[in-house]
Amino acid sequence: MNTQPPVRLKLEDAAIGFDQESPLLESVDLEIRAGEIVGLTGRSGIGKTTLLRTAAGLVSPLSGSVECCCTADTRAQKGAIGLIPQRLGLVQHQTVGYNVLMGALAGANFLQTALSLPSKKMREETRSVIEEVGLADKTLDSVNRLSGGQQRRVAIARAMLQEPDLLLADECLGELDAETARGIIDLFRHMADDHNMAILIVDHNPVRAKTFCDRVYQLRGRRLILFEEEEQSSALPIIGEVSA
Amino acid sequence: MNERISDSIRLIIRRPILRTSIILGIITILVTNHLQITIWKLVDGWSNLLKLGSEALPPDFTVLTERAGWTYPPCTFESDMLCSPAVVGMTQTLEIAFLSTVFGMLISLPLAAMAASNLSPYWISQSVRQILAALRVLPSLIWALIFVIVVGVGPLAGVLAMTMYTIGYLGKLQYEALEGVSKEPLEVARAMGLPRWQVARFFAIPEASNALISQALFMFEYNVRHGSVIGLVGAGGIGWYMNHYLSPFQLYDKVLALIIIMFVVVVLIDQISLQIRKRFMDQEIYPPRALWRNIVPFFPLRGGE
Repeated sequence: MNTQPPVRLKLEDAAIGFDQESPLLESVDLEIRAGEIVGLTGRSGIGKTTLLRTAAGLVSPLSGSVECCCTADTRAQKGAIGLIPQRLGLVQHQTVGYNVLMGALAGANFLQTALSLPSKKMREETRSVIEEVGLADKTLDSVNRLSGGQQRRVAIARAMLQEPDLLLADECLGELDAETARGIIDLFRHMADDHNMAILIVDHNPVRAKTFCDRVYQLRGRRLILFEEEEQSSALPIIGEVSA
Repeated sequence: MNERISDSIRLIIRRPILRTSIILGIITILVTNHLQITIWKLVDGWSNLLKLGSEALPPDFTVLTERAGWTYPPCTFESDMLCSPAVVGMTQTLEIAFLSTVFGMLISLPLAAMAASNLSPYWISQSVRQILAALRVLPSLIWALIFVIVVGVGPLAGVLAMTMYTIGYLGKLQYEALEGVSKEPLEVARAMGLPRWQVARFFAIPEASNALISQALFMFEYNVRHGSVIGLVGAGGIGWYMNHYLSPFQLYDKVLALIIIMFVVVVLIDQISLQIRKRFMDQEIYPPRALWRNIVPFFPLRGGE
């Protein structure tokens, strides 16, 4: 029997933006299934982050439907959606351990959160994901003291501990050197393959996105277009559009 | 002649500084007249000042060494110095300031989270802001008067009065700090589907922790300074002992000694608090350390565990 992985995010004829009269994006159709990594590219200010925030349930769609993690509503189950914003959303002045442990909050019960008492399992899992992202020696360091690449690893470790059904990552690879970017891409691939996570990742560079994503979409003139359907060279005029 | 007057008026109208000075001068004269303040009253006061000076100087520092049998609550130490009005009074003032800062902060922090517009719905945030504003309307001295009537003379009235004022004042500082935190950690928490109290407790408050600690220290300083005044209406602290010397006996030399001691202690506390606050505020000079986890630990992670 051929069973397809479950749908984690489904946008149907969605208009996205803040102004009903002039939405940023129109007629957006997108479906992401468990275990898939989907890339999203487009020039600055076109609406990539707003699309991500709409998928996260932080912004309501102007029209159409957005279904997150099998519920016909933008409000998904607690812990079902993980978000890594452009500036990572780490709690400043706090340790790596604290920030990663925030990923366990969705799975903690009321007493554990009210009394600030994690279970032994939570602490062990936290330690293990910190080791997995290669920051074991930084557990008690303040996140402010880490490099950009290390901070990204903390945000990813937080998402790994949360184990959401759908992970939304905004510009996670921007400004990173090739080796660090490769390490982070490997982590995403591991999360999608081993944890059956659906990942929607925004990347400025469509050519790079193509190398590690199952599909890459491009935002152009208020529309969402599958990058595969475009000619490879069409990626270059996007850069031209920005400079123009 | 008429031309000269009209020229002068034109000059005044053209020069804004002259115009403003004349208007301010007229208002000052009118207000002084209304309050019946005259230069003669000031001259009469000069002789009183000289009399006060002669009675107050030199200050009588026996307030630091002589045992006072009339302290409230009664002092049980053997040492006379520890039971002197200056030591007992100043200790009480510090204790009142400490308790009111702790109680005030415990109550104001959840209220501030409710008042912060980025953490609460509009109607809750506006309602709580009104409550905090109402608490700030009355100065601590009036709160002290009210609580002396309610619970009687003594430090309890002082603690209650200063706590009420602390909630109103600190609450405002705190909700402004919480509103200033970066929105991204809060969005991460919201996307995770966490309830509002967890967003505030685990994301917003730790993010604003440096500002919150600094504000609490500032509030302690403030409460020490104002805790000295509320004793004058019977709400405990060094002010109460000053009032004891003032009202029936007019022992101005002892009062002056108490004022000097209070001044020294307040300046010392200001300096210590300033140094500690610098650690949290000057982030360029002192790279911030994760100190908040030592104060309000959540899921403490020890390296060796």
